Amino acid sequence: MFTNQQINLETLPSIDDVDFKPISKQYLKIIVINRVFLYLLIMAGLFFAKFMVKEDNFHSLFWYAFALAVIFFILNLITALMAFKKRKYAIREQDVIYSQGLLVSSMATVPISRVQHIEISRSWLARKLNLATLKIFTAGESGIDLKIDGLDYSEAQKINDFLSKKVNGPD
Amino acid sequence: MDPIDFYQPSRQSPKGILVIFALNTVKFIRRFFVLFVAFGLSLSKKESFSFLSTTNLTLIILGIFLVIFVFAILKYLNFKFHLVEDEFHLSAGIINKDATIIPKSKIQNVYIKQNFIQQLINVVSLTIETAGDDKAEIEINALDRTTALDLKKQLFSRTQGVDPNLVGQSSQNNVFFKASVMRLFLEGISQNHIKSLLVIVPFLFGLYHEFEKYLQDFGISDRLISSVNFETGSFLNLILANIFIVILAILVSMVFSVLNTFVSNFNLEVVENNETLEINKGLFNKFSLILTPVKIQNIIVKTNRLKQYLGLHTVSIKQAMVNKKQQRNFKVVALEKPQVLLLIQKIFTRYNGEGTYKKPNIYYKRLLIWRSSFFGALANIPAFLILGNSFWLINSVIITWIVLFVHFTYKKASYQITEEYLTVNGGFIDRVHNISELHKIQSVELKQSIFQKRKKIASLYIATASNQVKIPYITEDTAKSIHDYLLFKIESAGRDWK
Repeated sequence: MFTNQQINLETLPSIDDVDFKPISKQYLKIIVINRVFLYLLIMAGLFFAKFMVKEDNFHSLFWYAFALAVIFFILNLITALMAFKKRKYAIREQDVIYSQGLLVSSMATVPISRVQHIEISRSWLARKLNLATLKIFTAGESGIDLKIDGLDYSEAQKINDFLSKKVNGPD
Repeated sequence: MDPIDFYQPSRQSPKGILVIFALNTVKFIRRFFVLFVAFGLSLSKKESFSFLSTTNLTLIILGIFLVIFVFAILKYLNFKFHLVEDEFHLSAGIINKDATIIPKSKIQNVYIKQNFIQQLINVVSLTIETAGDDKAEIEINALDRTTALDLKKQLFSRTQGVDPNLVGQSSQNNVFFKASVMRLFLEGISQNHIKSLLVIVPFLFGLYHEFEKYLQDFGISDRLISSVNFETGSFLNLILANIFIVILAILVSMVFSVLNTFVSNFNLEVVENNETLEINKGLFNKFSLILTPVKIQNIIVKTNRLKQYLGLHTVSIKQAMVNKKQQRNFKVVALEKPQVLLLIQKIFTRYNGEGTYKKPNIYYKRLLIWRSSFFGALANIPAFLILGNSFWLINSVIITWIVLFVHFTYKKASYQITEEYLTVNGGFIDRVHNISELHKIQSVELKQSIFQKRKKIASLYIATASNQVKIPYITEDTAKSIHDYLLFKIESAGRDWK
């Protein structure tokens, strides 16, 4: 039978009531290792250039460039560590929510009924730390896709199973 | 003519050989065009290719054409298609044989097109597009029109669960809109000429570059320079020359816009069938496509001050999973305002365009001022390098621009959310309305910077399968309640969005 009850907007489930879950603390290691690795590479490149380049201009600027790299490294590390706390996710009955970002914070919601496919991907480091990245795709190239980094592998699998069942199951 | 039995493997019309031949020739020439030019130039300069007598050259060219022609015949002979129950089968390929099977339910669009050659020999091409990337489409080069229409009907019939014969009888074709020559002309005139200028200028430069040597040989540039007479160097002459160039550029781009509009929209008409809408247009390349309202994700209505005065509106229809090149054709130009609403209502049946619109927070205006001032200040640097000490003069232009930009952008920004539709308006020179159906929304994202968080401001990004709209800078509470409302709408609608 067709019904058309008026919806009381106040009683709709609100985003403010959602209990967000943080991602695994282990992922902090990956963040730090990735950053350290990147900046070590940059600094190694700088030193390599120091021995190869013969021009005087470069040598007078070298320590400034090096200091700049160090400052960027520290700033980047601090913001990345502070932003870590902002990475949170929630699975509701009907949708998946992921929020992140310190300077620009975002909170993306994908209804489970609009999920096209789900993917679990694990890098070498993530495999060592028993972590996984869960990617949730919607239709269309312009869509907002979710990419939840740093989930416990078992947790990621559990979410994957839950979502897959809902996506493929009878409506 | 005997109707083709689509359930037996059949070839396209033999005229297809001609079409394939012509297409391959064009492709060949386009690919080796630069080579030809270089070859021709060196031929005219030096005599090193003296072994190439006229007869030899003709023989070579004839040989190339013959090879292309044989390939066209082989391609024609090896191209067979038929229907098996609810699937479309195609086998093609001369040496590498491809067999393609497409289930009818996976077919997204079927277009009927007719390019210049096809118009001459009176055949049409039929393109079948499936979901997926750009390459996932099949083109049958030459079918006569009735066969093509028949095949199209067959392809669509099962997907909608309707008996094909029934469709043929009950669909009455009612021409809903037809663009007159006059209105197309106005549409061309009132287009954004800066845009077409940006298309033309690199093209002209490219041509000039290519034929620079020739021009020098003819001494055209000398004559040009002497005719414009720069040596007097008087300020007035310089200004006159500049004005002349600007007027010439505007005229050229105007002619270009008008021609472009004419060629791509000639005989534009929107035909209303029972369940679907059909768009036909094109002069050299005739194009026909069918719109199925359920598959349409967004409608974008565009106009500007001048066009509004002339009563011209452009409606772009966004369907999911259509490749970029085709997307351009999902456009109806030169509509009058009442027609726009009618067209929208044909697709979004319960849209009425009424109700009040809400505005973004005043924070948006402040942000626009900050941003444009930043770029304005930045523009001073190149101005200083070019104009020297009198660079500050440019700020009078920049400030006017900032004032106009901020005023109009903020004035035009608004949004409306009703029971079933979301409308977001925006634009600076253009006035853009973006309408989407709530239950076709794919995902919602709330974004705010650290400064906006303190002021409790947020933006909302809403994605459908064909594009993304932004409700800019509203209060955090509003954003959250819209977020909740949209999700409620999507999730209570179930999974039926295509």
